[in-house]
Amino acid sequence: MLLENVKTALEALFGNRLRSVLTLLGVVIGVFAVTTTISMGAIATAGITSELQDFGSQSLFVVVDFDNPQAQRFNDDDIEALSRLPIDILQQQSTGGEIRFEEESSSISLNGTTANAAEVDRTLELDRGRYFSQADEKNAAPVIVLSSDASQELFGDTVDPVGKEVAVSFGDGSRVFYTVIGVKKRIGGALGAFANDVSGDIPLTTFYNDVPGVTRGEYDFLPITIDLDRNANDIEAQVRAILDRRRGSDTYTIQTIEGALSLFNTITRILQAVLGGIGAISLLVGGIGILNIMLVSVTERTREIGLRKALGAKRGTILQQFLIEAVVLTVIGGLIGVLLSIGVLYLIVAAVPFLDRVIISPAVILMAFGVSVITGVIFGVWPASRAANLSPIEALRYE
Amino acid sequence: MENVIEARDITKVYTLEGGLEVHALRGLDLKVARGQYAAIMGPSGSGKSTLLQILGCLDTPSSGSYQLAGQEVSELSEDELSEIRNKRIGFIFQSYNLLPRATALQNVALPLMYRGTSAKERLQIATKSLERVGLSSRMDHRPNQLSGGQKQRVAIARALATDPDILLADEPTGNLDSKTGVEILGLFQELHEEGRTILMVTHEEDVAEHCEKIIRIKDGRVEQVQEVEQRRLAEFTGAIP
Repeated sequence: MLLENVKTALEALFGNRLRSVLTLLGVVIGVFAVTTTISMGAIATAGITSELQDFGSQSLFVVVDFDNPQAQRFNDDDIEALSRLPIDILQQQSTGGEIRFEEESSSISLNGTTANAAEVDRTLELDRGRYFSQADEKNAAPVIVLSSDASQELFGDTVDPVGKEVAVSFGDGSRVFYTVIGVKKRIGGALGAFANDVSGDIPLTTFYNDVPGVTRGEYDFLPITIDLDRNANDIEAQVRAILDRRRGSDTYTIQTIEGALSLFNTITRILQAVLGGIGAISLLVGGIGILNIMLVSVTERTREIGLRKALGAKRGTILQQFLIEAVVLTVIGGLIGVLLSIGVLYLIVAAVPFLDRVIISPAVILMAFGVSVITGVIFGVWPASRAANLSPIEALRYE
Repeated sequence: MENVIEARDITKVYTLEGGLEVHALRGLDLKVARGQYAAIMGPSGSGKSTLLQILGCLDTPSSGSYQLAGQEVSELSEDELSEIRNKRIGFIFQSYNLLPRATALQNVALPLMYRGTSAKERLQIATKSLERVGLSSRMDHRPNQLSGGQKQRVAIARALATDPDILLADEPTGNLDSKTGVEILGLFQELHEEGRTILMVTHEEDVAEHCEKIIRIKDGRVEQVQEVEQRRLAEFTGAIP
């Protein structure tokens, strides 16, 4: 009888194809929205987390807190004190300027750093040319390694920047010339996708020679790379302990990838909740659509119900028939919604570079499906029981 | 001769909104023997519709006893009545009441579904039943592809499919032209000759005169049971126009 009722339900739904499709739409959209937002959140989180963890989880970025008037720049003694820890510290200075090659120019962030940056900074990879050497550093050579974006700005895709001479001018009007010796690779993943990084690295010695108003041995920030086999949280605590003792706890801040990650996770979760909520509302609206259409269907088929009862259908049979109709409607809607969602997720992952794989958890699908079935039952029960309780005499008389 | 219907002192009281009581049946007695072909006649308001509903187990009497094929059915629950209707009664309605989206075959097989007959067997029985009413060439037609007479023949096939104790026909020729009506009456006559018990409600004297007996109802009671002296005869040709 159950099978017969499923068949009857399908026939009734097919008999009213347009109406069934329109009724489905609410459920499809609801299930699609819920499944897609939740999966999208999981996919984005996984994509970004794995990218960040690839290189970022073992880094700290210690910055002087210039909001505090007592704060002073880090110096070589600080670096000396910190270097007891299993970490690498880059001596780095940074300034803004304008870079020019022939007719093309761009504002640029110029970093003076040491030759070992190429080994210490795990995010640093070269696309072409080379990084500057110890010898370059020692000789304060006029060489520069451009970021991918900087190279793009000045040289475009066609010109090979290596060997070209660029001019950099500073705020006081002074101008220096550097030879491009290398171009860095664009940082992969989420960070690279969003960041526009127009910068160039020059030897710290060159930096001190050329950049006006810089004090040797003072640093606005310290990029710290922690050895891979150490616990980042422990090291962070030790760094804090040393700096607190030397300088006071309110003179600097430590930025970590974990911090950024947890902020990102929070945002993702809020977005998931908001969009999922909207999806749930549209599922509710879809449910009401089903309720409406089932009530219409029961009224329209009053005579049919009367006849079925006259021919021997019991209350339970009629109840089942209409309930199944509602559930079949929502199950089909749920199925379409989930399939649509999977399709769209694959498209998004294919289109967005830093999302590396589609994650569709069975739990999400099961939940979306379960919710749509429950929607069908909840919104189908009332019309179905109305149908089941019709008196056959009155139902047969109904015009 | 065994009685298929044995109703004794049946009353039916409806309470209208406002508390007004309407006595549709007032102590009605009726016996219909197996194999009988009888018509029920009566002016409107006489209680014949109410009677047909009670005899068809669509409703229960307020008091009195109703035995259908030897079984007391006056105090059964709604679901039990459904089962009795399915097993014992074949309904034939004035407006056919076929499912519009189902084929003739599916329509005829429908009551068998409610008694749990297997799909294969349902198909066999329904096919046979449609052959009986001369519609073997129309089995896959939907109601809107059939003429009025053909629709009524599908309805009769549906009533026969469950092999019921009694066929209850409510104005079966009411929606048909007289020629098609006679054709349907011819079919009834053949079924009667095969031993079927048929009870037919009609308000047309010449339709009633095809039966063996006319039961006249008035004011909720049987006023008269009259043997038809000169029965009209109808012929079922089974023709498909």
